[in-house]
Amino acid sequence: MRSSRTTALALTGALSFTLLAACSSGSDDAGEGDGTAGGKTVLRVVSLLPGSEQEAFDAFDEQVAQFEEANPDIDVQPEEYEWKATTFAAQLAGGTLPDVFEIPFTDGKTLIENGQLADIDAQVQALPYADDFNPNVLEAGTGADGKVYAIPAKSVYGIGLHYNRALFAQAGLDPDDPPTTWDEVRADAKAIADATGQAGYATMTQNNTGGWQLTVATYARGGRVQETDDDGTYTATLDNDGTKAALEYLHDLRWEDGSMGANFLLDWSSINQAFAAGQVGMFTSGSDVYTSLVQTNAINPDDYGLTAVPLEGDDAGVLGGGTLAAVSTSASEAQKEAAVKWIDFYYLRKLTDSDAAVKDAETLVASDQPVGTPVLPIFSQEQYDESQTWIADLVNVPLDQMTGFTDVIFDQPLIPEPAGSTQELYGALDTVVQAVLTDEDADIDALLEQADADVQAILDKNAG
Amino acid sequence: MALTHEARATSPRRTPLTWVRRGGLSTLVFALPLLVVFGLFSWLPIGKAVVMSLQETNLVTTAWVGLDNVRTVLADPLLATAVGNTLWFAALALLLGYPVPLLAAVLMSEVRRAKGLYSAFAYLPVVVPPVVAVLLWKFFFDARPEGVFNTMLGWVGVGPVPWLQDADWAMPSLVLEATWAAAGGTIIIYLAALTAVPGELYDAAEVDGASVWRKVWHVTMPQLRAVLLITFILQIIGTAQVFLEPYLFTDGGPANATITVLLLVYRYAFGQSLGGDYGAATALSLMLAVVLAVLSVVYFRLTRSWSQT
Amino acid sequence: MTTSTTPAGPAHATPATAALPGPGAAGAAEGGGPGARRRGRPVLRRTRRPDEADRGALSPADWRRPLVRRSMRLSHGVLLALLVLCGLGPLVLLAKFAITPTQDILRTPLAVFPHGIAWDNLSAAWNDVQVSRYFLNTVVLAAGSWASQILVATTGGYLLSVLRPRYAKVVQAAVLATLFVPAVVLLVPLYLVILDPPVLGRSLMNSYWAVWLPAGASAFNVLLVQRFFDGLPREVFEAARVDGAGPFRLFWSVVLPMSRPILGVVSVFAIIASWKDFLWPLLVLRDPDIQPLSVRLPSLQATTDLGVLMAALAISTLIPVLLFLVFQRLFLRGAGLGGAVKG
Repeated sequence: MRSSRTTALALTGALSFTLLAACSSGSDDAGEGDGTAGGKTVLRVVSLLPGSEQEAFDAFDEQVAQFEEANPDIDVQPEEYEWKATTFAAQLAGGTLPDVFEIPFTDGKTLIENGQLADIDAQVQALPYADDFNPNVLEAGTGADGKVYAIPAKSVYGIGLHYNRALFAQAGLDPDDPPTTWDEVRADAKAIADATGQAGYATMTQNNTGGWQLTVATYARGGRVQETDDDGTYTATLDNDGTKAALEYLHDLRWEDGSMGANFLLDWSSINQAFAAGQVGMFTSGSDVYTSLVQTNAINPDDYGLTAVPLEGDDAGVLGGGTLAAVSTSASEAQKEAAVKWIDFYYLRKLTDSDAAVKDAETLVASDQPVGTPVLPIFSQEQYDESQTWIADLVNVPLDQMTGFTDVIFDQPLIPEPAGSTQELYGALDTVVQAVLTDEDADIDALLEQADADVQAILDKNAG
Repeated sequence: MALTHEARATSPRRTPLTWVRRGGLSTLVFALPLLVVFGLFSWLPIGKAVVMSLQETNLVTTAWVGLDNVRTVLADPLLATAVGNTLWFAALALLLGYPVPLLAAVLMSEVRRAKGLYSAFAYLPVVVPPVVAVLLWKFFFDARPEGVFNTMLGWVGVGPVPWLQDADWAMPSLVLEATWAAAGGTIIIYLAALTAVPGELYDAAEVDGASVWRKVWHVTMPQLRAVLLITFILQIIGTAQVFLEPYLFTDGGPANATITVLLLVYRYAFGQSLGGDYGAATALSLMLAVVLAVLSVVYFRLTRSWSQT
Repeated sequence: MTTSTTPAGPAHATPATAALPGPGAAGAAEGGGPGARRRGRPVLRRTRRPDEADRGALSPADWRRPLVRRSMRLSHGVLLALLVLCGLGPLVLLAKFAITPTQDILRTPLAVFPHGIAWDNLSAAWNDVQVSRYFLNTVVLAAGSWASQILVATTGGYLLSVLRPRYAKVVQAAVLATLFVPAVVLLVPLYLVILDPPVLGRSLMNSYWAVWLPAGASAFNVLLVQRFFDGLPREVFEAARVDGAGPFRLFWSVVLPMSRPILGVVSVFAIIASWKDFLWPLLVLRDPDIQPLSVRLPSLQATTDLGVLMAALAISTLIPVLLFLVFQRLFLRGAGLGGAVKG
């Protein structure tokens, strides 16, 4: 009798006790309060996209090992990570972001204003190259108080036109002579679609990437989707001629030429997947996407080509953006120190120090990971060019298939992304792009007018 | 003073000691799991929902805004789209998911050999993890002529159909998958209800010389009335909260053709990278809740009256 | 339908107390109306009376009529063919894709292995995608949710039905009220409670407790079990009390052993609900290492080779399908009853 009573007591009490006891030890084995375990500072960092190839993880783990060897008091815990507009908020609010995480340039200012990024100014200023950052680029991570809260890292990109050389060849086109005007893009897309049955041209449409790429197409035609007024407020200009021309262009490719394939619900990663699988002839995306195509989609390097986005009309330019590395506000001082050390080691030192650059490249090459994917300079252009010479022998990406981009990118005007309520603006344009691609009779003017009004309402609300 | 004294005098047993002696403590041990779990994870959030719907918060600062959240939601042009889509989903789901399982169940109840085989095949899709089913069907719905369904349609000279890639086709495609995933469960419910129809009723009908059709129509159907109505209301309550399919298949696209109310709640709360509008999200979910609560009460009343007659 | 949303049940658990199986069906005289007893039968009674087992709308006399017989045979044949096509077809295709090279899946999905079989899809799914690990996570989640629901439902039911303290009525009303609140309402506030739970002082985010504990708050389960306990014969309790059994012994040695049928029903509901849950674990389990399959697979869909993804989907399906085939009777009985009360 006693034993069964005890069992019952244990059973009924279990939940309440475990609630208090087991939960407070939680699922994390690391002591979380001060971010230390066994005397080491625990630092959770962003590793690679979920689903990356094993070789990519091997290379990453090797770099972590190198870092921990140099910093024996830091315990790095990598976590897979993909920034998505539609999931980031839950992670931010949920406090489940790693200590070091990545955000797009566009979100830096607001997150700083909201007090959601840690102040790492002191640590950043202590870096030897603190004064060498390209000021325009550093600005994205600087608060109104002039302090640095997030560092440009990983990549600064200009948008390029990525194309599948194999599909070009199958369609009887010369892969070494990619299109340089939008008319040529259209003709080549039609040729690819007719010859191969695959989509000659595709564009992203989901998770705000549709708006992002429509903005790219708008800039390329001299349009702008937003104006900054003198008083610092923003005016939406979604119904500009560039955006209209871009949408009409998509409409014609989709409905007159039938050269955009049959599947249109694509976001950043799914268009990469389709491209790597040979289902897409051409698409626009950041110049750095080749790295991801190798790491997660195992693309055949011989099939890959990169050229510049055609620019037409006055004020036309290439959209440029990039990634900031930021530190969680919950990080302790020790973690902040460790975080900036990691950012220095993993993202930046290889751009400023020849030994580090070579070591980094050797590690990547050892695991067949891409080295030398074209990006834009975080520091000065001269410094970028110099850093490329350090690793020239180790570059394993097909640079000769990217000259259409690399030859001209520094001559193309680089235009930053719209600054006010960027993601909402992109989201509103997603709907428009989707409508144009899935409804032959979509009224472009009316759609843009509606989107413009919606975005303006959001801008007004956020300003007020 | 006098009052307290009197109260003590009338119930002298109510002291902590007697309470423990009379088993109050062990009773409380049994109450603890329920009180803790419901308190923290049901009652508290429900209360919070009501409060939050009247507030604007970014989790750091909070301000009372009265009915502003409700106004925000009502002013959102997407609301009408989402409500319309949800109703459309529910209607299509009823159209497909109601008569087909019923017909199948009525036929299956007459099977005399290998009945288990029928049930097994019917129930198989229900066992498939819903996320797997959606990801698989997403590939089936490939809109190229080489897509799985389009290849099949090609055999009979139809198509290709745009499936998820067209505002008009997207929702029916979602419902098709949802019905596939759920029909087996509904069939088994109907089957259970059919087995429970007392044989004497059929015997009696036969004495009156009723034909097969008349028996099905006048004996079987009325006996199923209760379970039919229950599944009807449950299905509406379920479809009003549909999330998985539109989220994974289309993320509400193309051009908001499949955005549902729950997806809109999700977007308010979690869909913006720079922080959600929790007030609007809870306000919209409460509005949906009121509608569903009315349905639930109707359902509750009906099941009660049926089980008593 | 397939609303696999939600904080595990509180609202899914639909207001269906009246239709719940009373223990009357198990043999005791009272409890549950006739309707309830009928629906309860498939679970609660192992054998049916032979006279009603095979009696459908058609009588033996009907079966002897050639027209009826032929048309029934025909429609049964068609029905079986359709059931095989719809029930088995997609799974057969999935199994085929799992071992087909990606380019063949994309170009000729219905051709039978035009370029051979890609067995390495399976090993890639097992080793690289680590299906086994996420399956284990799924099982751990289901087991914990089950334990939490059983614990709360049995102790709560015992409290409300047998112990009946003064505050029982208030508690019961408060539990009943939650039946009418759909899960969607809880989504955001429950998320915030998990973020910053009172008393505990630390976030439950990225911890299985964030799924297990809310799962326990199922009013449906509590009322289901309470109703069952209500129907248990009081004389047995009295006899046990006279023998000197306290509330714990009564619970453990008398009430629980008599409650096996209802515990089975609650278990089936709990495991199915946990298996289907998507939105809630998606929100609170952000760490990829602890995610269940339902959360992990969608996040891999665009970064995994299609052939490997199909293999991962196939492996994820294989285990529940095998379980179903082995425990078919249990599943179907549970579903027959479960559907009648739960939808």
